[in-house]
Amino acid sequence: MTNKLEVRNLSKRFTISGGPFRKARAMHAVNDVSFDLVSGRVVGVVGESGCGKSTLARLILRLIEPSNGSVKLDGSDLRAKTPAQMRALRADMQMVFQDPYSAIDPRYTIARAVMEPFEVQGRKPTGTEEEEVDKLLNMVGLNPGLASSFPHQLSGGQKQRVGIARALALRPSLLVLDEPTASLDVSVQAQIISLLEQLRDDLGLTYLFISHDLSLVRYFCDEIMVMYLGRVVEALPDTNAAARHPYTATLMDSTFAPDPKLRRIIAPLEGEVPSPFDLPPGCAFAERCPRAAAICRNETPILSTQDSHPVACHHPL
Amino acid sequence: MTSISSAVLGLRKTAVSRAFGSWLGRIAGGFLILLVLTAIFAPWIIPFDYAKQDLMNGNAPPGWPHLLGTDQFGRDVLSRVIYGARTSLSVSATAISISVSVGMALGAAAGYFGGFFERAVMTVVDLTWSFPDILIALIFVAIIGPGLTSTTFAIAIAYLAQFTRLTRAQIVRLKGETFIEATINLGAKPSHILLKHLLPNAIAPVIVVGMLAIGDGIVLEATLGFFGLGAQPPTPSWGAMMSSGTAQLFLSPWVIIFPGVAVAVTVIAVNLFGDELIRALDIRDRIKGA
Amino acid sequence: MLEVRDLEVAFGPIAPLSGVSFSLAKGETLGIVGESGSGKSLTAMSIMGLLPLSGGRITAGSIIFDGQELTTLAEPVYRKLRGGRLGLITQNPMTSLDPLQKIGPQVDVVAKLHLGMTSREARARTIEILGTLRIPEPKTICDRYPHQMSGGMKQRIVIAMALAADPDVLVADEPTTALDVTVQAQIIRLLDDLVKKRDLALVLITHDMSVVAQTCDKVVVMYAGRAIEHGPVEDIFHAPQHPYTQALIGCIPKGLSEDEHLTGIPGTVPTVVNYPKGCAFHPRCKAAQAICSTDRPGFVTKGQSAAACHFAGAVQ
Repeated sequence: MTNKLEVRNLSKRFTISGGPFRKARAMHAVNDVSFDLVSGRVVGVVGESGCGKSTLARLILRLIEPSNGSVKLDGSDLRAKTPAQMRALRADMQMVFQDPYSAIDPRYTIARAVMEPFEVQGRKPTGTEEEEVDKLLNMVGLNPGLASSFPHQLSGGQKQRVGIARALALRPSLLVLDEPTASLDVSVQAQIISLLEQLRDDLGLTYLFISHDLSLVRYFCDEIMVMYLGRVVEALPDTNAAARHPYTATLMDSTFAPDPKLRRIIAPLEGEVPSPFDLPPGCAFAERCPRAAAICRNETPILSTQDSHPVACHHPL
Repeated sequence: MTSISSAVLGLRKTAVSRAFGSWLGRIAGGFLILLVLTAIFAPWIIPFDYAKQDLMNGNAPPGWPHLLGTDQFGRDVLSRVIYGARTSLSVSATAISISVSVGMALGAAAGYFGGFFERAVMTVVDLTWSFPDILIALIFVAIIGPGLTSTTFAIAIAYLAQFTRLTRAQIVRLKGETFIEATINLGAKPSHILLKHLLPNAIAPVIVVGMLAIGDGIVLEATLGFFGLGAQPPTPSWGAMMSSGTAQLFLSPWVIIFPGVAVAVTVIAVNLFGDELIRALDIRDRIKGA
Repeated sequence: MLEVRDLEVAFGPIAPLSGVSFSLAKGETLGIVGESGSGKSLTAMSIMGLLPLSGGRITAGSIIFDGQELTTLAEPVYRKLRGGRLGLITQNPMTSLDPLQKIGPQVDVVAKLHLGMTSREARARTIEILGTLRIPEPKTICDRYPHQMSGGMKQRIVIAMALAADPDVLVADEPTTALDVTVQAQIIRLLDDLVKKRDLALVLITHDMSVVAQTCDKVVVMYAGRAIEHGPVEDIFHAPQHPYTQALIGCIPKGLSEDEHLTGIPGTVPTVVNYPKGCAFHPRCKAAQAICSTDRPGFVTKGQSAAACHFAGAVQ
C-alpha cells in the first residue's frame, strides 16, 4: 500500500481587496485539508456548491498556488518544484473537466487535440501519429473515423470521451475527475462512468472523483470525503459506512432513492449553506445543526487523523 | 507564426466565401477586388501621365479625351484618381497592418500576463482613446513633419488603441475557457498557450475590425492629405486632390467631386463587406464586448 | 383536471413534439421525465400557452383544462388563466424575478391581477403564503430585493407567486435543477405538502428519475419528442415495458449492492434535427429488430400502463 498522493494542511484563502466603499473580505475556499490517496483507490469528494471541492482539485494539481500546506505525489513535494519540473510532472497527473463543451479548443480537430499532450511534452508516440490517435480513440470507445472532426460536430458525451483520451494520452497514474458527468444526460453519464471504471482496471489508475451527487460517489468510489465550507467534515472509510457527522447524515437523507417503494417522508434540514466570507468561529455547520451546543460555536472541531472513520464534530452521531 | 498565418488562411477559406454569399457581399467584395487590382496596375492602365501638366488645357470639363476632366494644371483627373487609389490604399493598409500587429502584441501581452504591465498599457490605451483619431494623427505629423511615411505612422498610432483593447478583451475571455486550463495542466509553456490557443482564437475579430479600419484609414489619410500633410506634390492622393480642388470649387467642381466619390464608395464597400464578414464569422458579440 | 391528448407542436417545418397524451386529477402529481431534447419543457410551454412567444404552435391534439379546450383559446382569455388557475414554476429562480423590484410587490401583483384584490388584501395574502412556504419573517422579506436572497429562497418566492392566485394546476419545469441537494429536498417536500393540503394537480417536469420516484403518482417517459411510456409510478419503476425506460432506470446508481454495474445507453441522445425514423430509440435499443427502424410503434396497454414499443414487455 503506497500513497499516490499525500495532502497536508492544504489551504487557500482568497481575498477581495477593499475600496473606499467596502471592506476587504477574505474567504477560506479550502481550509486545512489533509488526506492520503492510496495507489489504485478511488476517493470521492462530495459537497454542495461553494464547499471548495473544485478549488481543492486545482490546488492538488497546482493549477492554483495554495496559501498553505503541501501536496506530495509519489512522495515528492510538488511545491518544491521549479516551473519546468512542474510542467514535466503534469504528464503523470491529469484532470477531466466538468464542462466538455469548452474543454477542447474549437479550432482543433479531434486528432490534433488528442496528440497535443505529446507536442506539449516534446514526446513521440510509440507508433505513428495516426496509430496513436486510433489507439486513444478506441481506448475511450470513440470511432477513429471522428479523428478529423471538430468539437462542435460532437455530442457532449463524445466530447467528454475526447477529454478523457487527452488526459490519458501520456499515461498518467493519477486522474482528478472534476464532476466529469455533471453536464451530461443520465444515459450518457452512465456510459462515461462505466468507461472510467474500465480504464481504471485496464490501466491501474488512481482517481480523485469530485461530485455533488452522493449516490454517484457511493457507487463509484472506495472511500468518501465530505466537504462543507472549505473543510473536510468526515472521511467515510467505505461507501456503506453510516454517517457520523450531522451534515453527512443530512446529505444522505436529502439524496433521493430511485425507487417509489423506498419513498420516505424526509424532514429536510432548514437553511442553506451560508456565505463563505468571514465565517464566525467554531463549527461552520453549527447554525444549521440540530445537535449544536455552546462549544460548537466557539471551537472549530478538528478532523481526527488517528481514527479509522475520522469526523470533525464535537457531538458525532 | 505559422499558426497565425494558418488562422488567417482558415479565415479566408471559410468566412470570406460565406461573406460572398449575399448579393450585397458580392457587390462590395467585387468592387474591393477591382479597386485593389486597379491600384496595383495603375501605372499601366492610366490613360495619361498623372503628373504631366498641360496649362493650356486646364480646368477642362469631363469629356473626350479627359473622361473626368482636368485640374487647374491640365492634369487628367481620371489618371490621378486611379493613381490616388494606389496612394490611399497602400498608406491605409500599411498603417492598419502596423496598427494590428503592434496592437495584437500589446493586447495579447497585457491580457495574458496581467499585473502592472496590463495596467500601464491599458492606461495609455484609455488615454489615447479619449482623443479623436484625427487629433492624434495631426499631433504626430506635426512632430515628425509631413509626408507619406509620417502619415502612415500617424494613422497606425491613431488606431493602435482600438486593436490593443480588442485583442486584450479576446485574450481575457479565452483565458477563462476550460481548454486553456486543460492545456496548462498538460504541462504547456506560456508560449504554447499564447501562440497555439489564445492568439489563433482571438485573431478573427481583430482581423475583421482591422479590415473595417482600412476604410477609416482612407478617410484619415484623405483628411491629412486635405490639410497638405500627406502625399506631397506631384504624387496624387484623394485627399490632396480635393484640397487643391477647393480653390476652383465653383469653376471646376469635377476636380473635387471625383476623388470625393472615390473615398465615399471605397469606405462604403469596405464597411458593407466587413459587415458581411462579421455575420459570416458570427463574431458580432465578440467585437461589441471589447 | 387536465387532459392532454395527442399533442403535436411545430416550429415552422420542424415538429419537435408529437403524440403526447396524459391526464391528471386534483391532488395528483404527474412526472414528465426525459433527457435533454426529449420535449418535456415544450410540453410545459404548450400547457401554459407560451409557445407563440418562441415562434411555435400547436398543430394537432387537444389540451383540456377543467372541461375547457385550451388549444383554441384566445390570448386575452388565456392571459387570465395563466398565472391564475394555471400556475408555472420555472427552472431558474435567478432569472424569474425582477431584480429591480422588491419581493413584496412582485408577489402582490398576482393576487391583484387575478383575484381583483386591493393592495392591502394582496399584501396580507402574500405574507400568509410566504408563511406557509416556511419562509422566515415574511414581513421583512417583502422589503428585500431578489439579490439579497439565496437560490433556495428565491425559488420559494417563485413558488409563492405561482400560488398567489390559488391555482388548480401547477406546472413545475425542473424546479430544483439549479439547487443544491439539501435545498432540493426542502423544495420537493414543500411541493408535496402543497399538493396534499391544497388539492393541487402538479405537473413535475424533470430529468431526475429519483425525484420522480419520490414524488409522483403517475409518470410519462419522453424520448425524442414523444411520450414512449406512461403509467403509475410503481409500474414504471418496477415493471417498465419500454426498453428505454428499462435502460434509463439502469443508468441510475441505487447503492443497494456492491455488484451493481452501470452500463449506460450506447449512442447519443438525438436532437430535433436528426430524430430517427420508425421508433426513435431503435439505434440505441438492444432489442431493436428490422421493423423498429421503419414503423413507428403504437401504444401497447398493460394494466394501467402503456408503452410505445413493438416488443413492449417482451424484453427485460
